[in-house]
Amino acid sequence: MRNITPVIALGLALFAGPTVRADTVDVTSTTLLTVGEQTRGGVPGEKPELVTVAPAYEILNIAARGVTNPIAKDLQLVVSTWGSYELADRRWDNGTGSDLTGDVMTGYLSGRLLGDALTLRLGRAHVMTGVARMIQLDGGEAIVTLPFGVRLSGYAGAPVSQRFGTRSGVRSWNPVAGDLAYGGRAAVFVPISGYAGRGLDVGASANFVEDGGDPVRQEVGADFRLQPLAKNLTLSGFGSYSLYDERFSEGNAAVSWTVQPRLHLTADWRFTAPDLFLARNSILSVFSTERRNDIGGGVRYELQHGLEVGADYHLAIEPGEDGDFYGHIVEASLDWERGHTSAGGEVFYRDQLENGYVGGRLFGRQDLGKLFAAADVLGYFFREQVNGEDYSISGTLTAGVELAKGFSAVIAGRAGMTPFLEQTYDVMAKLVYNQTYRIREVR
Amino acid sequence: MNRTLPVVLAAALALAGCSAKAKKVEKEEKAQRPETEFVHSIHVDQGIECKDCHAGIDKATSLAERHLPATDKCKECHDDKTAPKPAAIEPRVHFSHAKHLGQAAVKGKCDTCHKKLPEAGEPAWSPPMDICTSCHKHQTDFNEGRCRPCHVDLKGYFPERAYAHKGDWLRLHGPLARPSAESCAQCHDQTYCSQCHSPTTAAARPSIIFPEEVKRDFIHRGDYVSRHMIEAAQDPASCSRCHGKKYCESCHEQQNLTKLFSGSRVPATHEKAGWVNDRASGNFHGDAARRDVSSCAACHDQGADSVCVLCHQVGGSGGNPHPKTFLRKHDTDDRRNNTMCAACHHGT
Repeated sequence: MRNITPVIALGLALFAGPTVRADTVDVTSTTLLTVGEQTRGGVPGEKPELVTVAPAYEILNIAARGVTNPIAKDLQLVVSTWGSYELADRRWDNGTGSDLTGDVMTGYLSGRLLGDALTLRLGRAHVMTGVARMIQLDGGEAIVTLPFGVRLSGYAGAPVSQRFGTRSGVRSWNPVAGDLAYGGRAAVFVPISGYAGRGLDVGASANFVEDGGDPVRQEVGADFRLQPLAKNLTLSGFGSYSLYDERFSEGNAAVSWTVQPRLHLTADWRFTAPDLFLARNSILSVFSTERRNDIGGGVRYELQHGLEVGADYHLAIEPGEDGDFYGHIVEASLDWERGHTSAGGEVFYRDQLENGYVGGRLFGRQDLGKLFAAADVLGYFFREQVNGEDYSISGTLTAGVELAKGFSAVIAGRAGMTPFLEQTYDVMAKLVYNQTYRIREVR
Repeated sequence: MNRTLPVVLAAALALAGCSAKAKKVEKEEKAQRPETEFVHSIHVDQGIECKDCHAGIDKATSLAERHLPATDKCKECHDDKTAPKPAAIEPRVHFSHAKHLGQAAVKGKCDTCHKKLPEAGEPAWSPPMDICTSCHKHQTDFNEGRCRPCHVDLKGYFPERAYAHKGDWLRLHGPLARPSAESCAQCHDQTYCSQCHSPTTAAARPSIIFPEEVKRDFIHRGDYVSRHMIEAAQDPASCSRCHGKKYCESCHEQQNLTKLFSGSRVPATHEKAGWVNDRASGNFHGDAARRDVSSCAACHDQGADSVCVLCHQVGGSGGNPHPKTFLRKHDTDDRRNNTMCAACHHGT
């Protein structure tokens, strides 16, 4: 079983050592209890069973930066972990066969070596760059910075499964469906004189995933980000190609332009071959060669300080019953913030081959000294009925108070009428401890 | 449906319309950027040099050394004036006036960088970073996330231009992070990213853990269960990036959506005429799979035990299921190298 326990243990030992200290330590601890209902089973024509779930969580985030040590500069230990216990029935996404469970979301050590030329990250972390697509790995990543803006990075590790399981386990949520992943990216940044960040960043990357030796993913990609002469114009693009299937798996191009400080425009195009996101050793991978495209853009405009409106439209092209189907995705929003009050609204419209919906959301938050309250209501009307119902509406009321010494308490109640639950209620209560310890400010 | 909920929702809407406390906040903002008490322009117009008042600034190696004039300096010209006493500042940038004023490009001229001087009643003004980068070619440093040679830290700064988190940021942030994640890392640890990007290991959805953060663009807000199949059908890859098929199956199995043939709650399409073997019906499962095989995978991805194998294995009644382009790219070597091929291609 691959897991990162040794790495975390090493990190904690380093962190706790008598001669080692971190210059900045951010700690957040959240004790959280939710109580609600979930459906189970059911046969056609009969109502499914309703069960009560009441998981209690302890969620812990620690980020220690500038850990003094003789080897690396800016050594960081970052851990985000949680444990939970089911006080009633087991929730569906418990992920194990036990009432007591937990996981590590992030747990890595990183530092800079060789005079900042080499950045090393070891442990459980995401690899973001290139065709890696935010792959979550138990492993390591190295980034080498060379002269003339050249950067090389490489990574290897085991894609993460839930609750320290493995791909060979009975049930794995590992999204890339493999037990070994490796790849890297080579890039060069060509600066253009002027403000910081201006220039062209071009990269080529590769990502390979295997499952018990079987190829799961074999992709190469290329990407760029260009900030040309116009100060507030940014262009970016990405394309990936499946070596295994000899087809393009993904592509996108985007332009964002801040025409003036209050006006932001975006335009983008995305292409995906969804079947290539299935593991290449999945039995389902041999049935399809599908393609999806969406193209559109958006605008945000700040009408006055604290008041912003926005709208986005995308034409979504998907395979239809007889040729392509042209769907539409529309969103509009209004955000208002003044003092300790913020509020907003959103409307959504989606029209697709199988179904669609029109929906809206209203939300607001009011801070009153150490107290705050928030409300959030979200509703949808479906084009075709979902489970025999036309709409879904749900809302959340939240109240909280800042207690002393970094502690705060929050309680929330959620209620809804959904296609799968005539009425549903659940409550959440949490006690949060959030504190930053500064021994010496480093960032 | 029983409809007792509207009262609760009305209360929620009422709360959303609470009144502002604007004046208090404006005061707080001013406190963070205090107004200048001194009129610079009159003095500059009189031909007074900067260092006449800011004596010793040309030797200063840190911004903590402000070299502001004392009242005695003011009284050299004004009998009734006293020197302003601005609050001490904590330097946020490593900067040496001594080094810069001696540079050929600066030639001892303060207005090379201080293109604007704060006037009485105006917020304090510092030269923006563009002034620095007009001489220092920091584009590469910026791209590689090397901020600390100059910046003490980045707390309180807001990203600009490409990284300004403006516009459709939810859609744009991925393409921008892809070339240079180090830029993001200057402000965000991966604990922040993992709130949305670690569904495999997350405790719960972010909107469940942080219901009070109503302004954040959390993924899957509200009753997402009722619309997940709609959004998944339009963009299946968006699900596959984060969720393994067994994740879908875990829930579908509990909802009795995956059993075969009897007693299972199945999607409506599966119950309509023609699903099994009538292509002319317009509801044929093969055509549906060609369009969106990811939806099939949400319930039927059990490897060699998948229901598909029953009919589509070599010699089975379902025939060859591969798309036209498939055989052109896959040969007998693939069958040998991929154990999944052997599920249907027995001994070939």
